[in-house]
Amino acid sequence: MPTSRRRFLRNGLVGGGLLALGGVSLAFYPSKEVGVPTEPLAALEARSFQVLVALVSRVVTAKGANPVAIAHGVDRSLSYALPETQEAINKLLGLFENALPGLLLDGRIKPFTRLSPESQDAVLESWRTSRIELRRNGYQALRKLALTAYYMEESSWGPLDYQPPPSLRAIAYDDSQVGTPEWLRARAEGDTP
Amino acid sequence: MTKLAVIRSSPNVVDGSQATADLVLEADVCIVGTGAGGAVTAATLARAGLTVLMLEEGGYFTHADFTMREKDTESRLYQEGMSRTTGDASIAILQGRAVGGTTVVNWTTCFRTPEDVVEHWKKKHGVAGFAYADLVPHYEAIEQRLAIAKVSYGSMNPNNKMLHDGCTKLGWGVDTLRRNVHACMQTGFCHLGCPVNAKRSMLVTMIPDAIDAGAKLVFRARADRFDVEAGSVKSLRGTLLDGEGRKPTGRAFTVKAKRFVVSGGAINSPALLLRSGIDAGGLVGTRTFLHPAVGSQAFYEEKIEPSRGAPQSAASHHFAHRGEEIGFFLEAVPWYPALIAATTPGFGAAHEAVFTQSPHMAIHIAITIDGFHDDVPGGRVRLRESGAPILDYPIGPKLWNAFRFGQKRLAEMQFASGAKTVRTLHEIPVVMTGKVDEAAIDAARWEGGSLPVSTAHQMGGCSMGDDPTTSVVRSEDLRCHTLANLHVIDGSVFPTSLGVNPQQSIYGLARLAATRIAAATRVR
Repeated sequence: MPTSRRRFLRNGLVGGGLLALGGVSLAFYPSKEVGVPTEPLAALEARSFQVLVALVSRVVTAKGANPVAIAHGVDRSLSYALPETQEAINKLLGLFENALPGLLLDGRIKPFTRLSPESQDAVLESWRTSRIELRRNGYQALRKLALTAYYMEESSWGPLDYQPPPSLRAIAYDDSQVGTPEWLRARAEGDTP
Repeated sequence: MTKLAVIRSSPNVVDGSQATADLVLEADVCIVGTGAGGAVTAATLARAGLTVLMLEEGGYFTHADFTMREKDTESRLYQEGMSRTTGDASIAILQGRAVGGTTVVNWTTCFRTPEDVVEHWKKKHGVAGFAYADLVPHYEAIEQRLAIAKVSYGSMNPNNKMLHDGCTKLGWGVDTLRRNVHACMQTGFCHLGCPVNAKRSMLVTMIPDAIDAGAKLVFRARADRFDVEAGSVKSLRGTLLDGEGRKPTGRAFTVKAKRFVVSGGAINSPALLLRSGIDAGGLVGTRTFLHPAVGSQAFYEEKIEPSRGAPQSAASHHFAHRGEEIGFFLEAVPWYPALIAATTPGFGAAHEAVFTQSPHMAIHIAITIDGFHDDVPGGRVRLRESGAPILDYPIGPKLWNAFRFGQKRLAEMQFASGAKTVRTLHEIPVVMTGKVDEAAIDAARWEGGSLPVSTAHQMGGCSMGDDPTTSVVRSEDLRCHTLANLHVIDGSVFPTSLGVNPQQSIYGLARLAATRIAAATRVR
C-alpha cells in the first residue's frame, strides 16, 4: 500500500542532503535492465519498472511466475490510484534501488537491480524488519502490490486448490434459474430484483 | 429485458464520461453520492415528488460486470483503485466507489444501530433530534425492502462456523447474522459485486426505486466544490471523468438546486466540505472512526475452503464493552486469492509455504470499537494539494492494547474450534500450535508496518449533534448548522463508531432524515 507523500518528501530531503555530501556517484549508479516491458507503462516510470521486476522476482518465487507480467499487473492496478500515490510508489522504488541509502542502512554498494538474489533477499529482509517505519511500510506496499498482481491471475491458482468460479452471467440473465419460487413470484409481481 | 436493465438504459441515467459538452443541471435536490445514504435519500425524496438529481463519481456496473475475478473488479469498484490507506499507510481502507457505493461490495452484514449507542450519542454528543424509537419504523421499512433476514446456523460456511463454535465452546456470546440478500446462491463473491443480483445493495433496490420515481442519475461525475453565498449553497461545480474513472475528460458540470445533500461517505464527504471552505470552525474531518481490525489465520485438519459461501454469517460481541479499555467484536473474513495473499505475511518461498495451505485456513478478525473513549479522538481528514482527501489516523497505545488483547482472544477462539495451528498476521508472525501463547503475542512487534490493520467501516468526520460548537450537522434532519440548504446524509455524521457493521445504521438514519426533509418541503 502507498506510503504518504509527506514521508517521501521528507525522505527526499534527507536524500538530497546526502547527495550534497558527495554521494552522487552511488545515488546515480545505473539500474540494470532486468525485464523489457511488453506494453506501454501507465503509472510506473521506466526505471521503476526495472526495480519492480527485480523485486517481484524475489517476492513471488512460485514456479512459472513471470516477473515482467506481474510488474505490468502492478502498473495496471496503480493506474487506478491517485496521481499522488503513483508518484509515491515511483519514489519508493527509486529509494529501494538507490545504493546510497542502501550503503548507509544495509551496507550494500550496488543498486538493488544489480545485486545477487541472496543479497536482494537480504535487502527485503532488512526493510521488512527495519526500525524505520517508512521502510517497513514501503516494504509492505511493494510486497502487497507484487503478491496481489500475481495472485489475481488464474494461472497462479493451481497450487491453492482453488478452482476459478464458472461464469454465472448466463444464470443471472436467465431469470428462471435464479433462486427460489418466492423470488420468481416477487419478480413476476414487478418487484425489482 | 429485466427491469434493472430497463432502468440502466433509462434516459434519466447519464454517463458523464460520454458528455460532449459541459453539463448544466437543475433539480429540487442534488445528492452527491449513491451509497447507503445517498440512494435511500434519493428514493425517499423522489417518491415524495421532488425532482432529484443523483451524482456519482464511480461507474454504473451491473451483475454482468461482476466476474468474480479480483483482476476485473477491485480497481474499478473501490476508492483509489483499492489503494486507499491512512496517511502513514498503516491502515488499509476498503471503501466502495460505484453507483451503489460500498453497498455494492460489502459483505451483506446488517445490524440496527445498538440502542445504547443512540443513547450515548444523546448523552455525550447532544444528539437530541431523534430517539431510537424514531428509527425503528425506518429500520423496518428497510428490512422489508432489502430482504434483511437472519441466517440459519446450517447455512454458515465452515469459516463462520468455526467462529460460532469456538465462541460457543468458550461460553462467549455469539449469534448468526442478518444479511440483505434474497435467494442468495452462496457464491461467496459479495466483495466483488454480486454476480446474480441476490445481494440487495442500493444498486438493485433504492437506485432503481429512485429512477422509477423520476430521479436522474449522472455517473462518472465528481463533485469538486460548492459555491456558498449568504448562508446557503447556490451551486455545485464538478468534473466529468473518463469511462474508467481515472482521469478528467476535460468536461465540467454545474448544478443549481434548492437543496444539496452530501452522501459521499466518511472521508469523501468531509473532503467536499473542506474543498468548499466549509469547515464548521475546524470540526469538519475530525472524529473520523474506522473500526480498525486485526486478523488471525487458523489452520485445521479438515478443509475450510474460506472462499465458498456467504462471507459473513456469525459475529461475537462478547468483548464489545470493556469499560476503560477499547472493546471489539469478532467476525470472519472471506478468502479471495489476491486479498489474502497480500494479508499473509512474508515473501518468496516462506510466503508460498503458508499461503498454499489456504484450503485449510480460516480467517477471523477483531474489529475495535473506536470513538467511545475521550483519549481516542479518531482520525482527521485533510486535503492533499490536488484536493483529494487523506486521512490521518494515529494508532495510540490504547488501540494497540485492544489489538493485542483481541489477537489473544482470536487465537483462543480458533483453538477452541479445533484449529491445529494459529498464526498472527505480523510480518514476523507469532505461530502457535495447540494453545495460545500470550507471552509471544505480547512480545510481537505492535507498530505500524509490522502487521496489517484494515478498515471496512468508515464513520464520522461530519458529526451530528445539536450544539454548533461541537458538531457539523444538526441531528433533527442532518442539515449543516450554518447553511440553510446543505445536508450531510451518510456514515460521516455518526459521532462515534457503531460497534456493528454500519450499512443498516446509515439506511435507517437516511430514511428518517429524508422523510423529515420531504415533510418540511411540503410537496404533494
